[in-house]
This record gives sequence, structure tokens and C-alpha cells, in this order.
Amino acid sequence: MVGITEMTNWAVDLIDVHKTYGKTIHALRGVNIQVGRGEIFGLLGPNGAGKTTLVKIMMTVVRPTHALGTLLGRPMGHRGKLARTGYLPEDHRFPGYLTGAQLLDYYAALGKVPRSRRKANAARLLDRVGMSEWATTRIDKYSKGMLQRLGIAQALMNDPELIVLDEPTDGLDPVGRRDVRELLLELKSAGKTVFLNSHLLSELEMICDRVAILVDGLVARQGTLNELTEETVEYRIAFSGDAGVIQEKVEALGVSLGANVITVSGHDTGKVNAMIDLLRAAGLSIESVQPHRFSLEDILVQVLADQSATPVARPMHP
Amino acid sequence: MQFWALIVDSLRESLDRKIFWILVGLTLLITLSMLGVGFDGEEVTLFFGMWSTESDRFNPLSDIGRANLVGFVVYLLANTMMGWIGVTLMIIATAGAFPAFTERGALDVVLAKPINRARLFLYKYFATMVFVVLQGTLFFVLTFLVMWLRWGVWAPGYLLSIVFLVLLFSYLYCVSVLVAVKTRSAVAAILLTLLAWVLFALIHQAPNVFETFPELKKRRTVYAAARVLSWIPPKTGDFVYLAASWSQAGTSIDSFPYFDLDAVTDLERARQVEEQELAKNQFYSIGSSLLFEIVVVLLAMWTFARKDY
Repeated sequence: MVGITEMTNWAVDLIDVHKTYGKTIHALRGVNIQVGRGEIFGLLGPNGAGKTTLVKIMMTVVRPTHALGTLLGRPMGHRGKLARTGYLPEDHRFPGYLTGAQLLDYYAALGKVPRSRRKANAARLLDRVGMSEWATTRIDKYSKGMLQRLGIAQALMNDPELIVLDEPTDGLDPVGRRDVRELLLELKSAGKTVFLNSHLLSELEMICDRVAILVDGLVARQGTLNELTEETVEYRIAFSGDAGVIQEKVEALGVSLGANVITVSGHDTGKVNAMIDLLRAAGLSIESVQPHRFSLEDILVQVLADQSATPVARPMHP
Repeated sequence: MQFWALIVDSLRESLDRKIFWILVGLTLLITLSMLGVGFDGEEVTLFFGMWSTESDRFNPLSDIGRANLVGFVVYLLANTMMGWIGVTLMIIATAGAFPAFTERGALDVVLAKPINRARLFLYKYFATMVFVVLQGTLFFVLTFLVMWLRWGVWAPGYLLSIVFLVLLFSYLYCVSVLVAVKTRSAVAAILLTLLAWVLFALIHQAPNVFETFPELKKRRTVYAAARVLSWIPPKTGDFVYLAASWSQAGTSIDSFPYFDLDAVTDLERARQVEEQELAKNQFYSIGSSLLFEIVVVLLAMWTFARKDY
């Protein structure tokens, strides 16, 4: 059931989204996700976590078993707001008998974009994604990368406030991926909200303001990259000499000792200083002390290792 | 705007199909063949005058001659070319429309547009019929022009055959769409639609079997059941009678065309007359068929609207 909820200033405000297939397959088990206006939000998680199902529910392609929430301040499925949303699905299939320009015009017309704007937008966007020369070529002649570029262009034909992209860099070469990143940053600077579902964590890390990690149908973590990585910083102290002389004392403090590297987890500078004192007292030479911030990949691996993923509380304000 | 977009898309999809051009080729061939036939009093010339024979049955200057000519075009050419071959090819050509439309990855973008599913379904349903409208219009307009300009037979009611053809197709297409949205298989849609067509004809003709064999008619309950059952399916066989009936409308052609009267047995003639009477009751024929179509379309629409893609 999609109910009317309080009108919020979130661009995307998903509350308690459930999707059950049949009676036993629980694809989503109460997802809460909030995306502020003008930010790039990344959704990540392992295969089968429910990411695409969630995106499809947002775009009314899949009917939720239960869901509350809003898109652009109106209940999910609101026609007026869908007209202000752009969408690129994963593994899209476009009619092969259309040309690139015809496809953009067709989808934009279904999106109620006036004819006068359609032609201008198509020309501008085809140029923006580097497909101008292919505008009058049938789509069945396109490569996968070209289809992806065209798909991104079609998602922007209605000049949307919210852009939902499911694996937008799928099939693109490194140059193409960089182009997409630049385009998304342009959209952000133009005040658009981008909701990104991608398995390429390094890309999400480069451009996302906030991310959510979906595991087994639940949001395991959600926040800005700083918020997520703050808890997972560690210090690595490299030294030379015989590590055996300090092994007992280091392990007694609950610190990990590798091959001439001491790893102090968390923001525990006191413990770092204690390790430095210990090394000096033992006459060992300190070569470097480096703070190490976890990558999204590290965090995801850590989350997956922790099987007790619990729902994340909904923030009060954007 | 959205409906128009789907119509333009269906038009492009139609033009992309080989079957569309095969049908256009057949229509042009038939038109050319008709152009090769000429009438000069009681003389009929074929192949642009290369061969001729005398026959008063097809003299366009007489009422019976005009009736026979229209009958020849409606019963033989239109019914065979459009009613059987054409509709079969059209079912094959359009059966893939909904499976392709609802293919995973293809429908996602469309469903995310500001249009509700029921409306989207209906728009797509009607837009796909642009294939039939184009084919029907081409065939009936060209053959009408040949009858009028070459043979001198003015039968404007014949053009209504375009509507009857679209209706005939739609009675079957609704079945194709229902199967397509349930299975997403074009092959299943084609096979089950053709099977349904045969079943409709059998059920519709069942009461005639009782008429033919009076001893069967004594089983009143079975006979009554057969008659009631025959009301339900669309009257696909009535296409030709409706077309013939309207082809004569508003003209001096008022005789039922039997261009091979000698070969018609009394029983066959009685059956034909009955069918003609049935066709004259157009409200029953079209109304009951449309009712069937509406029920099937609503079922397909409900399936389409409730499904996850």
C-alpha cells in the first residue's frame, strides 16, 4: 500500500518499504532511505540485496507490498512528479526499429514533454552524450555503450528534478564512465537530485554525497561518506627491527600486530601514542604513522561480514 | 500526446515488419489483377483485353451484374484476401507487439512515465491496430477505386468494410493480447488466437448442424444450449455478410449476390439466407462480439495493471 505521508523537503523519502514475492521471498524488509534535494545519492549492496527492486518501486514499475514515502514531496506514483523524474533502468531494451532521435522523442512524448521542447532537448542531449552523429541511425545498430549513452539522454529529456539511474555506467568504457561522472556532477551543480544504483563502488565514492548500503532487503548503513568512514578509520604504524620484543605488550592492549606494522582501529589517538612510546622504549625505529580511511568497498565487506544488519533510523531533517 | 506517441511508434513498428510489406504486395497484385478486368456490354475482358468472353452475369450496366461484381469482390477477394489470409497474417504480425512492449527492460521506462497502467494498456491496444487500419484502408480504397473508375460500379458502402475488417481483427486481437500479457510469448499468442478463431467459428456454426440434421434438433436441451453458447463468442464469420450488406447500401444493388446460383443447393442456400439475415441484425452481431471483446480486454488490462515488471 502506498499511503500519503507528511510532505517533506526530501527529494526521496522512502519509509518502511516492503516487497514480498509470493509468500516466502522477502526482497525488501522495511527500507528507509532519505535523499536530500540537490545531492548525489548512491545505493549499494551485494547482488540480490533488493537494490533494483527498490528502484523499480520508486518508479512504479514494481508494486510494493507496503510502502510509505514521497518522491519530490508527493506520494510515490504521483503523475505530476513522475513527469519531473528521469529514469534509466538496468538492462534496458529499446525498440530496435527506432533511431536515436526518434527514441528520445517517443519517450519524451510519453513523459508529456511539449513537442517544441522535445526536438531542442534531443539535439542538446545527444550532443552532450556524444551521440549526435548517430541520431538518425537505427538503434539495433548501436553498441552496448552507445545504448547506455542514449539511455542516459532519454532520462534527461524531461529536464527532471530527480534522476534515478540504475547502473548507468554498465557497458561503458573508462572514458565513457568518466563522461557520465562529469555529467552527474553537472546535474548536481544545476540543482538536480541524482539517485544512483551502481555496483562500481569506486565510482560512487568519487561522486556521491551520501550513500546507503542495502543488505538482504534492509538498509545496513546510511549517511555521508565522512559519516560512514569516520567510524572505520585506522592508523598504521610501520617500524623496523625485531617485532618479537613488543608482541606481548601490543597484543595485551588489544592492538593488531602484523609484519612490522601495528594497526590501531578507530580514532583512538591515545592508543596510537602509546604504541609509539612502546616502540621507542623498545629501541625500534618508527618509519611511518599513517591514518587509513576505509573505502566503500571495505565498509561493504565489513557490513556483509556482520550478518546482524538492522534497520537504520530515519533522519529528522534533510 | 501520449496516445499519438504510441500510434506513431506502432506505425514505425508496422513498417518495420516484413509481413506488412507482403500484405501491401498482395493488395497491389490484386488491384492490378482487377485493373486487368474490363467490361464492354456483355463482353468481359481479362488481362487488359488479351482474352475476352461473353457473360451477362457481370454486366455492370445491369443491377444483377453490379450485384455479382460487388459480390465477387466482397465474397471472393475481400473475404479471402483480407478476411482469412490478411487477418491471419495480421495476427502473426501483431502478436509480438505486447510481448515486446512488456519485455523486461523495455516496459520499465514506459511505466515510469506519468500515465496510469490501464490507460497505457488501452492506448497500446488501440495503437497496435494501426497496422490493420492501414492494410484495410489500402485494400478497400484501391479495390473500391477499381470498381468505380474501371468497372463503373459505384458502391460507397463497400468502404465500410474497413470498419468491419478492423472489428473482425479486434475480436481476435483481444485474445492475442490476453495471451501475450499472461505469457509474454508471441508464439503462444499466435497459436491460441488461431485456435480461438476456429473455436468461435465452430461454436457459432453449431446451431446450423442442428438445422441440417432435424433428428438432432429433437434434443431440445442440447439444441437450446448450442444456441445460447453461440451468442457468446465473437461473430467472426459475419464479416463478409456485413461487408456485402453495406456494399449494397445506398445503391440500386439490392439483390443478394449469387454468381454461381446453379451450384447452390437448397440447403446451402437456406443456410446462406439465414446467415444473411443474421448479418442484417447488425446490432446483435457487432454488439455481442464487442461485448466479448470488452470482457477479454478488461481481463487483459487487469492482468497488465497488476503485474510486476
